[in-house]
Amino acid sequence: MVSKVLTVPNAQGFHMRPASTFAGAMGKYPCNVTINFNGNNYNAKSTLNLIAACMKCGSEIELICDGDQENEALAEGAKMIEDGFGE
Amino acid sequence: MKGTGVSAGIGIGKMLLIEEHSLEYTPKQVDDAQAEKKRFKDAIDVFCKNTEAQAETMKKTVGEKEAEIMLGHISLVQDPFLLGEVDKLIDGGQCAEAAFESMCDMFIQIFSSADDDVTKQRAADVRDVKAGVLGLLLGINEIKLSEAPAGTVICVKELTPSMVAEINKENIVGIVTETGSTTSHSAILARVLEIPAVMSVPDIMKQAENGVQAIVDGIKGNVILSPGEAELAEYGEKREKYLKEKQELEKYRGKPTVSADGTGYELVCNIGKPDDAAKALEFDGEGVGLFRTEFLFMDKTSVPTEEEQFKEYKKAAMILKDKPLIIRTLDIGGDKDIPYLGLAKEENPFMGFRAIRYCLKNRGLFRTQLRAILRASAFGNISIMFPLITCVEEVREGKALVEELKAELRAEGIEFNEGIKVGIMTETAAAGIIADLLAKESDFFSIGTNDLTGYTMAADRGNSDVSYLYSALQPSVLRMIRAIITAARENNIPVGMCGEAAADPMMIPLLISFGLTEFSVSAPSVLKVRKCISCWTKEKADEIAEKVMALETAEDVKEYLSSVI
Repeated sequence: MVSKVLTVPNAQGFHMRPASTFAGAMGKYPCNVTINFNGNNYNAKSTLNLIAACMKCGSEIELICDGDQENEALAEGAKMIEDGFGE
Repeated sequence: MKGTGVSAGIGIGKMLLIEEHSLEYTPKQVDDAQAEKKRFKDAIDVFCKNTEAQAETMKKTVGEKEAEIMLGHISLVQDPFLLGEVDKLIDGGQCAEAAFESMCDMFIQIFSSADDDVTKQRAADVRDVKAGVLGLLLGINEIKLSEAPAGTVICVKELTPSMVAEINKENIVGIVTETGSTTSHSAILARVLEIPAVMSVPDIMKQAENGVQAIVDGIKGNVILSPGEAELAEYGEKREKYLKEKQELEKYRGKPTVSADGTGYELVCNIGKPDDAAKALEFDGEGVGLFRTEFLFMDKTSVPTEEEQFKEYKKAAMILKDKPLIIRTLDIGGDKDIPYLGLAKEENPFMGFRAIRYCLKNRGLFRTQLRAILRASAFGNISIMFPLITCVEEVREGKALVEELKAELRAEGIEFNEGIKVGIMTETAAAGIIADLLAKESDFFSIGTNDLTGYTMAADRGNSDVSYLYSALQPSVLRMIRAIITAARENNIPVGMCGEAAADPMMIPLLISFGLTEFSVSAPSVLKVRKCISCWTKEKADEIAEKVMALETAEDVKEYLSSVI
């Protein structure tokens, strides 16, 4: 299991477009991908879960990957968040 | 019936009520889970195919960005978590309808109870998706809006993006809904399609009947059911007038802003978000005369970082390309609070610790914003503007800080515009009286008439006992405005106005006579103001201004101006 603590940088947080892009990208990896935010775990391959988590700009979150290709998944996921989903 | 007008114009036509289908069913126990899962998967596939087709149509009728809303719906129904849970429920013996509905309802509930608006709005998307998939599972055919006859007024509880995708704008003359507001997706779409729309009309679905004639007044937010002859004639005329005016104004699109005797003016817009810069251009604004930056700091839990601010300023600058973009530094305090800054409650916030006063005392925050603006200045035609200036020291201190940050960026090898202009808002009585001194310190002035009127008259327009004093046509305010413009002209610096008065047809001849060089107005007013300016010569404006400045009361000024304009 690998993980990284990140801060959501884009103004709108995980709204519809970033959430679906992110979930789509994570869906390609066989490992489990979860986001821990405010003490709750959310399935990061699910757009609905990501929207429901209400992560806003400045929220501190932990991205956790567990299973096959966990390092690759973590690298790509962390980069997407750090880049603010290109927004 | 009263509602909120969300898309201007007047539509007269026959009501078409779009009843929500009864999506009721009797949940049944499923024995063959595999077959049921396949039935569900087939429905999802059909839904995605239909939605993709809708998105394609929407790309053509509405726009690329709007079509993305529909594509978002596809990503919602293909959500692996949702699909997985539905399959589990079906394995447990539930039918596809019940399984899918319970999962959707769970998310609708979570989204609706969120504390931010963006997430709340997503509940409507899930509802839209739920209705679509359930309809497919139950084999209910949706009413095809695309087949509505010419002259149809759509009446529906909630207008969903998937309905809008079906709208043929030739045939739909109006939209009335029970829910929704100016900012909802469907309202934005109605405006893009230029269909008059009134939303949030209580109980309209119960009051209206299919085929009944209706008037939709998207300007005032009124709906009239079964209008009489007189009303039909009245609104028919209003409609003609609205369309004629709109057409008349369209002639001014793409034209330079010049007076009748050929003097050119800058006609720019006031915006509150980077995306509004695109709106300013859409309405034919020539740039941005006031970019309020407060939005960046609101709805946050801490001060936005330099990087975050830089991205937003850069975005606006890139949209505007070489057109001017005047960024006003943070104007908090007064009525604009930002909780995490921990501003103390004040007895008299409008005379208290706000705007430039706050920023000069909170250097960390001010430096971050100014650095972000400076960095963005490498990507467009950006100027900096300080709000609420009352004395020369404030301008000097602010400018010294800008110079210090420039040196810092230079040392770090970061690009910025060396020649960036630094101007001020002249919106206090103090600034008006020492405008000659301030003009020597500033690259430009921008008159904020809303605050200038309030501070000059010492009257709060929100207080109904004193709001009668609050008028930019008060002789005192007019003298203040004239003094500010004169001081700017004498010192050869540009002077604009970004308050509401800049778009007021009564004010425009006075501003032309005084020598204003830039009008900054809300985007929808651009063409109106351009037309208004084109009607005046300096000579005629001077004549009127001379008479006005000799009048003694605001009432007299108003009466005289109404008689000549």
